[in-house]
Amino acid sequence: MHTIVAIKQVPDTTHVRIDPETGTLIREGVPAVINPYDRHALEMAIRLKERFGGTVTVLTMGPPKAAEALVECVEQGADRAILLSDRKFGGADTLATAYVIAHAIAAIQVEDPADLLLFGKQAIDGDTAQVGPGVATRLAVPLITYAMRIESLDPATRTAIIHRRIEQGIEVLETTLPALLTVEKEIATIARAPLPNLVRAAHYRPETWDATTPVPFDPARIGIKGSATIVSKAFTPPRKEPGERMSVAESGLTRVVGQALQRLVTAGVLSSAPATAPRDESNA
Amino acid sequence: MTPNHRCDAIVVGAGPAGVAAAITMAKGGLKVCLIERGRLPGAKNLFGGVLYPHALAEVIPDYAERHPPFERPVTEQGYWLLSPDSVVRIMHKSVHYKTAPTGAYTALRARFDAWFAEQAVQAGVLLITKTTVTEVVRDARGRALGVATDRPEGLVQAPILVIAEGVNNLLTQSLGLAKGDLPPRYVALSVKEVLALPAAEIEARFGLAGADEGVAIDIFGDATLGLPGTAFIYTDAKAISIGVGLLLEELIVHNLKPYEILARFKAHPVVRPYLAGATVLEYGAHLIPEQGYDRMPDLVGDGVLIAGDAAAMVDAVHREGSNLAMTAGRMAGETALEAHRRGDFSAAFLRAYRTKLEESFVLKDLKQYRRMTDFLDSTPHVIGTYVDFMNEAALRYFTAQGMPKREMEGEILGLLRGRRSFFGIAHDMMKLLRGLRG
Ligand SMILES: Cc1cc2nc3c(=O)[nH]c(=O)nc-3n(C[C@H](O)[C@H](O)[C@H](O)COP(=O)(O)OP(=O)(O)OC[C@H]3O[C@@H](n4cnc5c(N)ncnc54)[C@H](O)[C@@H]3O)c2cc1C
Ligand SMILES: Cc1cc2nc3c(=O)[nH]c(=O)nc-3n(C[C@H](O)[C@H](O)[C@H](O)COP(=O)(O)OP(=O)(O)OC[C@H]3O[C@@H](n4cnc5c(N)ncnc54)[C@H](O)[C@@H]3O)c2cc1C
Repeated sequence: MHTIVAIKQVPDTTHVRIDPETGTLIREGVPAVINPYDRHALEMAIRLKERFGGTVTVLTMGPPKAAEALVECVEQGADRAILLSDRKFGGADTLATAYVIAHAIAAIQVEDPADLLLFGKQAIDGDTAQVGPGVATRLAVPLITYAMRIESLDPATRTAIIHRRIEQGIEVLETTLPALLTVEKEIATIARAPLPNLVRAAHYRPETWDATTPVPFDPARIGIKGSATIVSKAFTPPRKEPGERMSVAESGLTRVVGQALQRLVTAGVLSSAPATAPRDESNA
Repeated sequence: MTPNHRCDAIVVGAGPAGVAAAITMAKGGLKVCLIERGRLPGAKNLFGGVLYPHALAEVIPDYAERHPPFERPVTEQGYWLLSPDSVVRIMHKSVHYKTAPTGAYTALRARFDAWFAEQAVQAGVLLITKTTVTEVVRDARGRALGVATDRPEGLVQAPILVIAEGVNNLLTQSLGLAKGDLPPRYVALSVKEVLALPAAEIEARFGLAGADEGVAIDIFGDATLGLPGTAFIYTDAKAISIGVGLLLEELIVHNLKPYEILARFKAHPVVRPYLAGATVLEYGAHLIPEQGYDRMPDLVGDGVLIAGDAAAMVDAVHREGSNLAMTAGRMAGETALEAHRRGDFSAAFLRAYRTKLEESFVLKDLKQYRRMTDFLDSTPHVIGTYVDFMNEAALRYFTAQGMPKREMEGEILGLLRGRRSFFGIAHDMMKLLRGLRG
């Protein structure tokens, strides 16, 4: 059983700021963490490895610093980690990101075909939830988004039954493998990594792939050149003024209800104020 | 014990003591496993802080080329004696601090500890973070075999263990080397804030020529409501470190909240202008062990050495701790190397560690100030009394009122006598002298 997990290092959201001039996120100096959904995806992969044997490969596209996130994945139990890092990848939107991740996964699979590809349901900084589907499309594998449970998985018959969250409830799907899942946090709970993993990770250096080796990416389809998104403006919406407050304790219930109804009439929500009922204010 | 990992030496805690021990042993050829509970070394640590590189140089001789994240060299230092509305300053600034190898630097632990631990990793130390040592595993005769951690498959084995766990020395206690928790009269609680301010603004406010100058001020008197304790203001590169510390017992007896004392100190008319417009970057609290020489834990057990705050190696008089910790860590490391050469990890052999410390400034200084905590404990009024007197005397002294100077001097003497009897003063001075001379 070989599972490939795509992870993204994201700024710790409690620290994010927006550059007032360019309108883009300032990532400099902000502590980074593994995208929370991706941690659960990785954990699912590790559970499958524990059950069926095999290996877990993690990959990420990001700056050299993202190697930290990969080492953390090895601590958690990943066997192999690949960092796609090159200035030429910089400025990628979901289109360019999906292109790179898809081709990198294809390259990994030449030697070691995967049974499952796991992604987070979305990245907490970009929030588009597009990269996973983009990769599935490019690799022509079945896609199941918002996966919350793997009910069963059989590496022999190469099938799996997956529960996915939809607005009205839960959808249960059967799929052939390999498939690509973008996952919710419920997919697996995060276990405390055993010490020998930390020892291994302390010496582990992720492989680094750049824009030309071992995969010669098309320079026109990566980084800012390969991106279709133009950030024309980003701004912090003005804070909404709090609404008017009326105090029942101070004015009494009848007065407050009366005033509130009057406001609704003034605003044109009601045509006329209905007669207010309660007389005994002490019961309010 | 069936270990999940084996090495030649285990160090618990990646503070100054633990990292110094780990580097010393790794350079001596041992396979060292350094275990730290924080996400990164330094993540959980806090000090004033002024670092003294003499101790660092003995662990990493070429430390300067390795770009340690110091904030500023300390080129001016001294004391403020603060009354509720005034201050007497005793400050020393000298060009010698710049020409001679500088004696001190301000630093922030989150950055410094991470750098220091990175030097250990480069020396070949296996650094395991996010992992707490929960227990020292011992054989039937009480000899340490290794440690258990809070991780699955978390047993680590080694013939020697350096415990550098800091002031909250649970493992040291579990081995019977420290006798229970510190009583509140022997432990100080400090709270600190790091306030961001542009470098140029810091330099203008503190009269510094540039990034190569810095101030370290220790403050007595009103900063701690006249109670035994100190406050401090240190300049960092782009921030001001400010804090107050009091003996835990004083806080309990007077029902004081440390953060309120710090807020009060920051609002003091003398202090406030230095901080105007600064924003809080971080804040925290930490304990300082001040039980002194006579109540230190035992420093060795079979297969175990204790270093740094875990063994109360703090010289509160000179706000030194990190340098004692590093020196003790280094000496623990050297002793562990000798033990490996001899194949003897018994407490009897490891006593050589204590001897080394006795011959160094670490235990010499602690011995000299052995009565200091008792002095403050038995004369808690002393700081408030004399600091306020100094301020009132200074006001008289510097004010011309058409009064003959003889009369003014008499008035100043009267101010002192009004606060404390002649015998009281003589008594205080004798006690202070004894506190300082050991
Ligand atoms: C309007 C807009 C503004 C943008 N602004 C910025 C900006 O200011 N700064 C900036 O750097 N980028 C910006 N981007 C680019 C974009 O946010 C991401 O860098 C990238 O395209 C991934 O998209 P996402 O974060 O929405 O990921 P999602 O599609 O939400 O991520 C889903 C999953 O895909 C996988 N994944 C995502 N990214 C990677 C990766 N790099 N490596 C491996 N796996 C991955 C993870 O498993 C993740 O859980 C912007 C994009 C848009 C549309
Ligand atoms: C407010 C304040 C101001 C100070 N000012 C100065 C100053 O200006 N100059 C100076 O030299 N000294 C100063 N000190 C003292 C100095 O900080 C300490 O003496 C020094 O840090 C001691 O180093 P250490 O390595 O013994 O302990 P610590 O620095 O406390 O390190 C102990 C480490 O062990 C880890 N740990 C603890 N238990 C476990 C466990 N069970 N498993 C794994 N890891 C564990 C902790 O997370 C920590 O990283 C100050 C202290 C305080 C509180």
